Formats: sequence, C-alpha cells, structure tokens
Amino acid sequence: MKNEERKNENETGEKNSKELPFEIDRRSVYKCVQCGTCRSVCPVFDAVGWESANTRGRMLIIKSLLEGRPPSEDVLPSLASCTTCGICAAKCPAGANPPEVVEAARAQLVKCGVTTEAQENLKSAVITYGNSFGDTKSRKHWLSETERSKLPEKSEYVYFVGCFDSYRYPEFAKKTFGILQRFGVTLLPDEQCCASPLLRTGFTEDAEKVMKHNLEQIRKVGAHTIITSCAGCYTTLKNNYPEELRVISLPEFLAEHLEELNLKKLDFTVTYHDPCHLGRHNKVYNAPRKVIQAICTLMEMKNIKENARCCGGGGGVRTGYPDISLELARTRLKDVPEGVDYIVTSCPLCVRNLRDAGGDIEVIDIVELVAMAIE
Amino acid sequence: MDITTEIRKIVGDRLSVSPSELYCYSSDASQVKGMPDYVVRPKSTEEVSLIVRLAYENEIPVTARGAGTGLAGGAVPVGGGIVLDMSGMNRILEIDIDNIQVVVEPGVIQDALNDALKPHGFFFPPNPGSSAMCTLGGMIAYNASGMRCVKYGTTRNYVRDLEVVLADGTVIHTGSKMLKSAAGYDLTQLIIGSEGTLGIVTKASLKIVPLPKTRKLVIASFENAEIAGQAVVKTFSNGVIPSACEILDRVSLQVLKRYDPNLVLPSEGDVILFEVDGTESSAREAAEQIMKVCVPLALSMSLAESEKEMADIWAARKLVGAAVSRLDPTKSRIYVGEDVGVPIKQIPELLKRVQEIAEKFDLPAMKYGHIGDGNLHLALFIDVLNKDEWDRLNKAADLVHRTAIELGGTVSSEHGVGAARAEYMKAQWGPALEVMRAIKKTLDPKGILNPGKLGL
Repeated sequence: MKNEERKNENETGEKNSKELPFEIDRRSVYKCVQCGTCRSVCPVFDAVGWESANTRGRMLIIKSLLEGRPPSEDVLPSLASCTTCGICAAKCPAGANPPEVVEAARAQLVKCGVTTEAQENLKSAVITYGNSFGDTKSRKHWLSETERSKLPEKSEYVYFVGCFDSYRYPEFAKKTFGILQRFGVTLLPDEQCCASPLLRTGFTEDAEKVMKHNLEQIRKVGAHTIITSCAGCYTTLKNNYPEELRVISLPEFLAEHLEELNLKKLDFTVTYHDPCHLGRHNKVYNAPRKVIQAICTLMEMKNIKENARCCGGGGGVRTGYPDISLELARTRLKDVPEGVDYIVTSCPLCVRNLRDAGGDIEVIDIVELVAMAIE
Repeated sequence: MDITTEIRKIVGDRLSVSPSELYCYSSDASQVKGMPDYVVRPKSTEEVSLIVRLAYENEIPVTARGAGTGLAGGAVPVGGGIVLDMSGMNRILEIDIDNIQVVVEPGVIQDALNDALKPHGFFFPPNPGSSAMCTLGGMIAYNASGMRCVKYGTTRNYVRDLEVVLADGTVIHTGSKMLKSAAGYDLTQLIIGSEGTLGIVTKASLKIVPLPKTRKLVIASFENAEIAGQAVVKTFSNGVIPSACEILDRVSLQVLKRYDPNLVLPSEGDVILFEVDGTESSAREAAEQIMKVCVPLALSMSLAESEKEMADIWAARKLVGAAVSRLDPTKSRIYVGEDVGVPIKQIPELLKRVQEIAEKFDLPAMKYGHIGDGNLHLALFIDVLNKDEWDRLNKAADLVHRTAIELGGTVSSEHGVGAARAEYMKAQWGPALEVMRAIKKTLDPKGILNPGKLGL
C-alpha cells in the first residue's frame, strides 16, 4: 500500500464496522509462531517494507481481531494486499496456511461490512455482468454466429474459458478452443465467472450463487471433465467446487495429448513462469514443462516451482493495489535468464501483469507457443 | 509540540501510527508484548540521530528493531514510544577483500551478506537459524551466533567498528578498520549484546573469513541424549573442534522427518551432527577421528559428504524450532526457556535435568541445539488454547533457567535477555548487574533507549 494511503488512514481515523463477531478457526491462526520466516519470501512485504504487509503481520492483525479488536478499515491495507500466492505456506516451518487464513478473514470482514472500494467494484461486476470486468459483451463474442450455432450441446469435456480469455485475450480463447475442438470439447451454454475473484476477496455467499449457476450449466452439458487455461479458474473449479468435478489445466491436457498434436520443433529458447495457483497451490509443475520441451528449449528462471515468485496479479491485489502488483511483476522479471526469446506462462492474469511490467522479452501464454508449433 | 508532526518532518511518510501497523510491531517471536506509539522506518544515520534526539528531548522511549525474529522481546517496546524499524537500512556499503572486511548497514539480512560474499570466496560465519530473515543489526545487538559458533565464535568475534547513535543523538564510531587497537576502552564490545539499551547501531564493519574448501558431516545416533552429550565431551577432549556440533533428540528427528521425509537421518536414538571443515584431507582426518571416538558410544554412524545432502539437513535443522506443529497440529512451540547454556562438561547433566523438568510438568519437549558450545534449545510445546498448559509451561521454563544458573551457565547463550529473561539477571550476575546499571545510567541518563530490558 502506498505510504500516502497509510497516512490518510491515520489522520482520518477509523471507520468502524457493523458490530458482528469476527470468528475464524483459531487453530489455523495460532499455528503461526511468529518466527518471521515469511519475511524472507513474502513478495508484497519485499515491495512495501512495513511489517503489516508481511504474512506474519497479517496473521498478527487477524489474531488481534480474534482477540476482540473491532474490525475496521484500518486492517484493509494489510489484509487486502495479500496476493494469496502461497509461498509463505510453502516455507512456513510450523505448517500454517496463511492464504487460507487471509481468505477466511476477508470473508469475515465482508460480513462485518469492512471492504475496499476495489473489492466492492469487483463483486458488483461479477454479480451484475457475470464477469470480473463488468463487460457487457457476450462471453462468446470471439466466436462467429455460425461457430456458436454449431457448438455441441452435449459433451463429456467442457472448456471453461474464464473471464480473462473471454474478454481480455479472446485470441487465447480462440486458439485454445481451436485445439480442444479436435477432441470433441464444447463450451458451456452460459458460462459465468468461476467465482475466484469473489472467493479470494471474501464474498463467499455471492460466490456460492455463481458456482451454483456454473454447476447447473456443467450438468446440462453432461460433462465429467472441465478443462481450463486460467490458473485462477483451475484452482477454484478444482478446490472450491464439489469434488466430483474432474478439472484439468490446459497444460495437463496438452501434455497428455502431445502425440496427437503432432507439434513441430521450433528453434528458440523460452523460460517458464509458474503461476502460483497452478504451481504452488496445485503442484502442476511438470506438464507445462513437458509441453514446452516438446517444442523448444526451456531455460529455467532463477526461482521456479515451489519457490517461484508471484507475478503480483492474484488475490485482488492487481485491482486493489496496482502499484504493488506491478512492482511484484517487475521483481519477477528479474528472475528471467538471459538469452531467452519468450517468457511462457499458463495463466492470463500472469500474462497481463508480466506484460504490463514492461520487460524487453515478450510474454506469451502456453497456448500461443503450442499454436506456433501447430501452424 | 506535536510529536507526529516532528517525526514526519524527519522521515516523511516513513512513519506510521495506524493501529494495525502498531499492533504488528507490538511483538517479536517471543511472548513479550508492548504497543508502540509510533513506528518509524529510517533510511540514514542522520534520520536515526534526529529521531533519537527528538525522543531524548521529549523523554520518549526508543526501541530499535531489525527483522523482529528475536526470542526474548528485545525489540518489543514494552514502554511504548517509538519503534525504529531498521530493516530498511539494508545496503552493503563496501566489500573490502584486501582488508578482509565489509561495511554494512544494520538492516542487511545475514544470508544476503553471505550471498554477496560467496563469489569472493569469503563468508561471515555467525549463522542463526533465522539467517534467511534476521538482520545484522539485530545480530550485533544480541551477540547472535548459531550452529558454527563452536569453531568460529559469535558475532562479537567479527565486529571491527560500529557507528552508533547515542541517547542524545550524538553519532560515534567505536573502532576502525584496524585488526587491533590498544587505545582506550573497547566500546565496540560494550555495544555488542547491549540490546539497544546503550545506543543504536547504524553501520558496522565486520571481519569476514575465507570459505572452507570442503565440509563433511558425521551423523551419529545414541541411545539417549545423555550418552550423546558424553560423546561430544569426549570429542573435544580428544582435540577435535568441529565446525558445527548439533544435537537433535528423537522428537526433533520425528519433526524433521515430517518436515522433509527425504532427509537422510537415523530412525532411532538421539543424534549428534558433527560438521567438520577445512581441506579435503584435514576434514577427512577430523571426521575419521570423531567416528573413532564415537564408536564405543554410538548406536549408528554415517558420513555425509555430498553438498546437497548436507545442505538439506542444515536447512531443515534451521527450521526445526518452529516445526513442532508438524507432529501434532494442536500443539505450538512456545519460545520460553529455549536458550540456556552450560559449560560443555555439564551438558549431560543439563540434558538429564531438563528432561526431568519436562516430565514433571507433563509437557512434551524437543531438545536440540548447539551442544558443541553448551547451548541447548529446549522446545516445549503446548495447546495455546489451554490455560493450564500455559501455566505449566511458564513454571517449567522458570525452572530450566534456574537450573542453568545453578550449573554455572547462562539463561541466554545467543537469543538475548530482552524482557523475557530480565528477572534472572540478578541471579546470574550478582553485583556485576550494578556495574551494568551504572554504565546504562551514564550513557542513557534519561533511560529512553529500549527501557525494560536486560533487568537494568
């Protein structure tokens, strides 16, 4: 958070919440023994420097709320600025899971009426328009009328496009669907936001409604497997939707079907950025690397897999704290090795943030790499 | 005078009085609590000096803080006032290989310094378990050490010069780049370990040493911790000084295996890790000698020579203290009575008495630490939601501290006294505590620097 913003908090005083009890699983909070190991890895802390911007600070603030401090807007610069990247959980010797605790705390703050304007705008966009951008276009605008009319009504496989590919990177959606159609994959008749932005920022009740809608759509199509190319959608569909759903990420699907794709070798070198919600949160590390190595040379970044640094785009931080978010992306670009032609990743949110950080090397989605090898 | 306005004139927006921010600076890794009124993140010696002078003039307590990884409440502002978060002053100002030293600001992280020194073939040896996040300023203030202290000594052995802001804002240097000096009192040594009660370190010149050519690790397990302690005493009396000598009791081993199931560690007994370093031949000779000494006492022994295997074991060892919850998710490790030390010969007795205390209070205990220098880290763990367990924990910790003093040892070997162990200073030091009080009064007549610490 900006220092200016802190100053204002201090001087304008606190806006207190509705008087509701703040309650989350205490054991999950008290697992933190305040050793400070997270200071060595928390990317937001690295950018901001105040203890409240570090995982330990967030856990302490949540403790204070559990111990009776009234929730107020004063806690937001800390609790709303976590990207939920999970590197603290990966490193925590005590086995705490701070991203889960932070999300639970955000949900309680929402109940207490303590939210940021950015959070409210995000929620309102998803609830009103079914997407996180508040875009009024059809979610399938990237398909022609004819293509839309030919979509199979029933299929065992569904491509969950996600808000980003639908509205910001329709070319990714086109390329992804172009590949997946060969395998009989269809789209949902009325896909809505997966609910990730709502869940990450604490709007659990609103998220339930959106998830219910998407589940009905999935049942309508009769699909048993959902394929998605967005790391945020992937972790949400996999971990927040009912367990009977089989969810596969696009890199996993591509890795499983490498032979059928008949990819040609390309003479360049790329590096790979592990999206937090695909990598650390779900341990999908090898599939994207297998796909890349089937096409070209892979040169790894300085910090990879479990140690990969966050691009800064997740957890509502890109919307709420764009300066911090871009600072994280710039730091991540420093991990790129010399001599690579592209930075490949498999999450549109990471693509956007890393592109916006303004490096010299082009950032592409894995589907673009695969499309080059098919063409 | 409005203090907030005055501080802001000095550091601009690097001041916070937000209640959430203040709360984050009201504790460290210990159980000590104290709410500051202001948190300031200075960027220069001049800013520190101006803030301290302002505090002096207005009799406001000032507590310096590094990464807040302390285990005794040393950086906790128990008297309120200003917390100076020094972690933003984190530049390595000079790597002077010709004079085998570096000049650093106090916020430099220990690992970051060693990362910068590695390409030059040098290192700064004191390495606490918290080396990934602790600051050199904190290490100086608490005379921190760590696993390699048995051969390389503590932070105290590596400081050539300190730039210190005194209680009235005056800036002094306590030494120089000289290897030695016979001129006057050794103020450098006075400041080291003074926990921010005499002055605030804003720069330090530190001695560095060449990296050893190789390291080897003897892993020996013993039927019980007492026998393990005897093996350590025998190793030393046979003339071998390992570069690290760590005990991991059987509970610690279970915790480590939960943390990293791939670690190559014995499955039974209490373990001693003997690290030796030097040239290939000297390290091999020392490792063989240790194994020979341990043969009659050990259940099993092995030698780790691959860098990765050793690095994995040390990385896990560094985090074992906080990892107890891996064994039982309802239990948390509470840092009390965790840093006692005794003369090496008394180690077997300390291990026995500590185990008896844990049993007496019915508390699960994990024993690990730098047994080679007599420093035992006792980890007592409790359900933090159970008040009775808290009561038993505090009683046990009290007894552990008193036992260490009785055995001719110390209540803190490397974590410091802070507020957590202040009550034992009289018992440990007797009339020498009055000398410390006199020094404090001379250098900080208004008592603004980190009040409530060291039993002063």
